[in-house]
Amino acid sequence: MTDAVQQMPGHGSSHPRLTGTVRHVVLIAICFVMIYPILWMLSGSLRPASELFGGDAGLIPSQVTVEAYSNGWFGLQINFGQFFLNSLIIAVLATIGNVLAASLVAYAFARLEFWGRGFWFALMLGTLMLPYHVTLIPQYVLFRSLDWVNTWWPLILPKYFAVDAFFIFLMVQFFRGIPKELDEAARMDGCSAWRIYWKIILPLSMPVLATAAIFSFIWTWEDFFGPLIYISEMRNYTVQLGLRSFIDSSGTSSWNELFAMSVLSLVPIFLIFLFFQRLLIEGIATTGMKR
Amino acid sequence: MTAIRRNGAGYLFLSPWLIGFFCLTLGPALASLYLSFTRFDLLNAPEFIGAQNYVRMVTADPKFAASMKVTLIYVVFSVPLKLAFALAVAMVLNRGMRGLPVYRAIFYLPSLLGTSVAIAVLWRQLFAADGMVNGILAQFGIIGPSWISNPNYSIYTLVVLSVWQFGSPMIIFLAGLRQIPTDMYEAASLDGASPARQFWRITLPLLSPVIFFNLVIQVIEAFKAFTPAFVISGGSGGPINSTLFYTLYLYQEGFSYFRMGYASALAWVLVAIIAVFTAFSFLTTKYWVHYDD
Repeated sequence: MTDAVQQMPGHGSSHPRLTGTVRHVVLIAICFVMIYPILWMLSGSLRPASELFGGDAGLIPSQVTVEAYSNGWFGLQINFGQFFLNSLIIAVLATIGNVLAASLVAYAFARLEFWGRGFWFALMLGTLMLPYHVTLIPQYVLFRSLDWVNTWWPLILPKYFAVDAFFIFLMVQFFRGIPKELDEAARMDGCSAWRIYWKIILPLSMPVLATAAIFSFIWTWEDFFGPLIYISEMRNYTVQLGLRSFIDSSGTSSWNELFAMSVLSLVPIFLIFLFFQRLLIEGIATTGMKR
Repeated sequence: MTAIRRNGAGYLFLSPWLIGFFCLTLGPALASLYLSFTRFDLLNAPEFIGAQNYVRMVTADPKFAASMKVTLIYVVFSVPLKLAFALAVAMVLNRGMRGLPVYRAIFYLPSLLGTSVAIAVLWRQLFAADGMVNGILAQFGIIGPSWISNPNYSIYTLVVLSVWQFGSPMIIFLAGLRQIPTDMYEAASLDGASPARQFWRITLPLLSPVIFFNLVIQVIEAFKAFTPAFVISGGSGGPINSTLFYTLYLYQEGFSYFRMGYASALAWVLVAIIAVFTAFSFLTTKYWVHYDD
C-alpha cells in the first residue's frame, strides 16, 4: 500500500522538501483544529463546576478534579453503570445478529445459485436507499402489539433478520473475492452448502466479519433514535438516552458532569478506533460507507 | 432434483433476510403508505381520510414548510462544503507523504464519533453564549452572539458539525485518487500543463464517479440527520423552528402528538424527495460523470 502511495505524482514541484514541510504544517493545523473541541470537552470534564464557563477556551484547568465523573455517574436516579451495561448488552446482541444474518444471506447471494437470485439481490440493494422512517410507524405498531415497547427486543431482534442491507452488501463484495475453486472442490468431496459456509467461507472472511462487527457495534452504541422511541423506563436506558436525560435534568449548572459522562460514552468507540482503525478505514475505502 | 435442492439451499440461507424484508421492510412500508391516507392516533383504528394529510402539508402547515426550508438549507450548505473539504484534504494527503495513516485516522475520528449524543452536547456548549467559540473570539476583542439560541445562526452550527465529519468521504476520495494512473499526470506535466489545469482536466473527470457516489450518499444522509438537532434544541427544533430538521418534525408529529397518519405521510414525502433527487442525479450523470469503458 505504501508503495502505491509513494508513486503518486509530485505535480512537478521544484522544492519538494519545502512544500513537504508546508504541507505537514497545514495538515497538523487542520488536525489540531479538528481535535481541539474534543480536548476541550475532556479538559472541561476535569474542571470544578465553578470554573467551566465564562468563555474559557483554553485547555488547561486551574485545578484538576475528577469530581465531575463521580457526581455525574450518580447524577440520575439510576447510575450510569446501568446504562453502560444496557448499551453493552444491546450492542453485543445486535452485533452478533448482524454478522450472523448478513453472512448467511451474503453467502446465498455470492455463492449459491437459485431461482430469482438477481431479483432478490436488486431488491436488497433497493432497501439500502430506503429511509427507515418509512417503516418506522408500522414497526412501532407491530412491536407495540407484541408488547415489546420498553424492552430491548425492537432494538435487537431486527438485526437477526438482516434488515441492514449495508452489511449484506459489504460481505457479498468480500465473498465474491474468495476463489470459487475452493467451494467447488469441497462440493466434489460431498460437502454441503452449510459446511462450505461454515468451514471455508467464514474462516477466510475474518477481516470482513470483523469490519461488519465493529461498525455494527459502534452504530448500535451510538444509536439514539431507536432507544428514544422504544425505551421509556430509565432502568432500560442506553447511555445515549442517559446523556439526554442528564441534559434535561441538570440544566447549565453541572456542565462539567455532563461533559464527564459524554467523555465516558465515547471511550468504547475511541478504544475500538485505536485498535481497529485500519479495518474501519479499509472497510470504508472498499465499499464506500454512509458515514 | 439437484435444481430443487440447490434452490432449497439458496432460499434457506436467504430466509433470514426474506423474513426481515417482508415483515420488517416491505410490509411496514406498504402499511405506512396506507396510514399516510388516514388519521391514526395509535389508540383508535386508522380512519381513512383520502389525501387530506398531503393536502394539509402543502396548504395549511407552516411547520412543514419551516422544516423543509431548514433541511434544504442544511443539505445545500453542508454537503458541498463537506465534499469540497474532503476532496481538498484528500488531495493534500494523496502524495506519498510521511504520516499518512496517522493523518487519515485523525481526520476520520470525527466521522466515527459524530452521531453520538456526546458530540451534540459538546457542540451545544462550543457555540453557547459563554462557550469555546466565543471565548476564542473574545481574545480578538469580538463579542460573539449566542450561536445556538439565535435563530439566524443555529442551523449553521449544525452545518459546521456536519463539515467537521468530512473524514469518511475523504477516505473514499483517497481510494478514488489512488486509481488514477500516475503516468497521466506525468504526461500532462511534460506537456506543460499547470497543476490547476491537471486538476480540472485529469483529477476531476477521473474522480467524477467517486464524487457522484459521495454526493448521493451524503445528500441522503443529510436529509436523514436527526440527533444533533434534537439534542441542540432539546427536542423542540427551536429557536423559532430554526433547527427543525424534517426528521425531527416527523418524530414530533408521530411520537409527541401521536399523529401517526400524518407522520407516515411525512415519511413518504421524504422517500419521494430522496427518490427524485437520486433519479435526477443518475439522469445527469451522462453530462458530468466520466466512466471508463
